Amino acid sequence: MTELRKRGLITAVVCSTAFETLGRTQARVLGVPDLPLIMIAHPLGGVSLDEVRARAQVAIPQIVELFRGQLK
Amino acid sequence: MSEMARLLKTPGVSMEGIADWEAANELIMASGWGDGLPIVPPALERVESMLAYCDRPWDQPVAAIAPRNGAATPLRIAANAVMAGCLPEYFPVLLLAIEAMCEEPFNLYGIQTTTHPCAPLVIMNGPVAKELDINSGHNAFGPGRRSNASLGRAVRLSLLNIGGAIPQVGDMATLGHPGKYSYWVAENEAANPWEPLHVERGFSAATTTVTVVGADAPHNINDHESITAVGILKMIAGAMANTGSNNVYYHGEPLVVLGPEHAAAIAQEGYSKADVKRYIYENARMPLDRFSDENITRRMRLKFPERFASAGPDALVPLCARAEDVMIIVMGGAGKHSAHIPTFGATRSVTRALKRYDGRLATSVREFRHG
Repeated sequence: MTELRKRGLITAVVCSTAFETLGRTQARVLGVPDLPLIMIAHPLGGVSLDEVRARAQVAIPQIVELFRGQLK
Repeated sequence: MSEMARLLKTPGVSMEGIADWEAANELIMASGWGDGLPIVPPALERVESMLAYCDRPWDQPVAAIAPRNGAATPLRIAANAVMAGCLPEYFPVLLLAIEAMCEEPFNLYGIQTTTHPCAPLVIMNGPVAKELDINSGHNAFGPGRRSNASLGRAVRLSLLNIGGAIPQVGDMATLGHPGKYSYWVAENEAANPWEPLHVERGFSAATTTVTVVGADAPHNINDHESITAVGILKMIAGAMANTGSNNVYYHGEPLVVLGPEHAAAIAQEGYSKADVKRYIYENARMPLDRFSDENITRRMRLKFPERFASAGPDALVPLCARAEDVMIIVMGGAGKHSAHIPTFGATRSVTRALKRYDGRLATSVREFRHG
């Protein structure tokens, strides 16, 4: 993902809240500190399919915004 | 200016006022560094003494430790070895273990950051394990021997302080396990009725090696009743077949640690090590209906479609992809116990030989000594 970002592609990582610190730290370590994180509620594992859909609904507007911002 | 004094001018390698025990430990604890236990202050002369057994440039990284990709220079590793309580003669094998766990197949990045509890387990083989008095007998995973305890701790301190595996920052383990403090042993070669691990992997018996394994905690297998090879192996295979093991989900190389008495009883009937691996591969299996419905539909059927897409409740689930992937070592003292160590799964163990900087095999740590 970080390599794609370095090549200028529109990229992001879907990240649950419990992993935000790791996600931001690793983006910095791997040389892409501005890598967007699409934040969703933790956890992603062990939830019902309805709860997975609810997380997708939170993620999709962030992804649309990411495309809008970078395609201007 | 001495070489050491010059290197200590490099940013990030020195701490002022650390010779004093109280001050050093206050600083470590207040900063959230280390493993939570008091450390030996890494004062200049102690670090320099540690490096008396380093035959390569002190400031050139031997590896980058994930997830921070911290530069693992001998100097930094030596400071961590001092803090852990190592003797200087331990240093060459510590450096080798750090190098081995930074090789790509090991997937240290995954092992450091995962929610799984795994830690690098270091297994030594060969004459230097004896030279350094690494415990391979009674209570080898337990306390009591400076070499095992401090070498394992030096690995962990290096993973924390150089690699940045800080709990909840660079190490997301849900639970962790006690081996994350220290996890360093040697195989009990004298009690091994078969070829030891390093010989199985193509090294000569006289070569010293370290093998690193991305390992869960040891799960004990008590069998005082079986008097046949098949009896003991059946009990071991039964204990290994567990839902929830990463080896079920990601395969990899489940590790079996045979106590000497179990190993001898199995070998006495003519079983080779390959036979033991084959038995465990074929029998450490559990029926699909041991898994929850959600795991069957959301994981097993999707992840292994060729085997379980339409499999019935009696279909057997294995622990690894091939019999050769079962790892076997012999370790411990008297008694009818063995252990199973599940692994992270998404990792391959790495075995490396102890060599001098000139590339020649080392037969003793004395060959690294200088000054």
